[in-house]
Amino acid sequence: MKTPLTKTLFVLLLVYTASCAATEKLPRGVMRVDGVTAPDLQLDNIDGEAYDLTATGGHWRFVHFWASWCGPCRREMPSIQRMIPLLEDSDLEFVIVNTAETEDAVFNFLGIVAPDLVPLMDYDGLVTQVWQPRGLPSTFLVDPAGKIQYQALGGRDWDLPAYIEFLRNLD
Amino acid sequence: MNGYVMRITRQYRMTARRLAALIIGLLLTANCYGFGKPYPGPFFENEQLLMVLVPRAPEQMAAFYEARGFPQNAIDIITDTCFVTVHIENKSQQVTWLETGNWRLTGNGQALTIMGTDYWNRQWEEIDLPRANRSTFYWTQLPAVVDLQADEPVGGNIVVPGDVEYFAIEANFMTDQDKRGQMIQLNFEHVECPKQAPIQ
Repeated sequence: MKTPLTKTLFVLLLVYTASCAATEKLPRGVMRVDGVTAPDLQLDNIDGEAYDLTATGGHWRFVHFWASWCGPCRREMPSIQRMIPLLEDSDLEFVIVNTAETEDAVFNFLGIVAPDLVPLMDYDGLVTQVWQPRGLPSTFLVDPAGKIQYQALGGRDWDLPAYIEFLRNLD
Repeated sequence: MNGYVMRITRQYRMTARRLAALIIGLLLTANCYGFGKPYPGPFFENEQLLMVLVPRAPEQMAAFYEARGFPQNAIDIITDTCFVTVHIENKSQQVTWLETGNWRLTGNGQALTIMGTDYWNRQWEEIDLPRANRSTFYWTQLPAVVDLQADEPVGGNIVVPGDVEYFAIEANFMTDQDKRGQMIQLNFEHVECPKQAPIQ
């Protein structure tokens, strides 16, 4: 037989469980944003191959803006190189966009710290300007429907377990 | 035998004391000479906010932008001014507003205005600076407005006229999303516009 106290405790437990489920635990520096449609992103990569973000829907995209002169970008980039093989089993796509630099500048930097990355080249910086990152480096997480759901603020070690788990569990 | 052990122990203690005194002395000396300084320029840090200023000499700015392919006429404009690299980090869990429009700068006995995006766009239009250079320059400047989220860092240069030798910054930061939280005010009294780069 249920007493009023038991019923009250049961209801409180239900409310607590629901509120916990609703509160999303995000790793440090990752912010949920309001799901606006991602701007166009059509660029050639450093090998001259064309890329169009809208043509690659159906899975999450990790869209990262950087430049080799930016200190936090330089510190962060090796962790992106290390992160990619850790997420090989996910269908997350990595879209690495260099902002307004030459091929020589990009090659000289990435060739040493992240030789496996093939960045898109925003030669005149206009695509970066349209995306309006809060600064460089900046990362947007675009959902399978083409909406920006998260933004990462500043640089970080992307290969830390908290970020790997978060990225692996995007849905 | 016991006397021998005691002598050894006494010698060991004296050596340890001398070593400790030497280490403390070295640490104090190192601190006096700035080896222990956590940041390369004037800074303020508490549990809410970190703000660091690094004044730059014209030759440092010229070297940076020349290495990024900026033409000489752009370098000439840049080196006529005074750059200070600013790093700010919101260490609190509340929104902290970076709005350089709320800062008060004074130098040469009068109010100074940060030379912002509009000023630079006019300069770049006049000399028809390539788009890539304009973009790089834009991203190296401190943004005028950012609602800094918990733990969010931001950085970039602020620029004032080059004829200023020293200036003061009163940096005001509103807090909370609606800007109704307690305002944070940081004062930097003696920010230098160095004419020459420091010797490394």
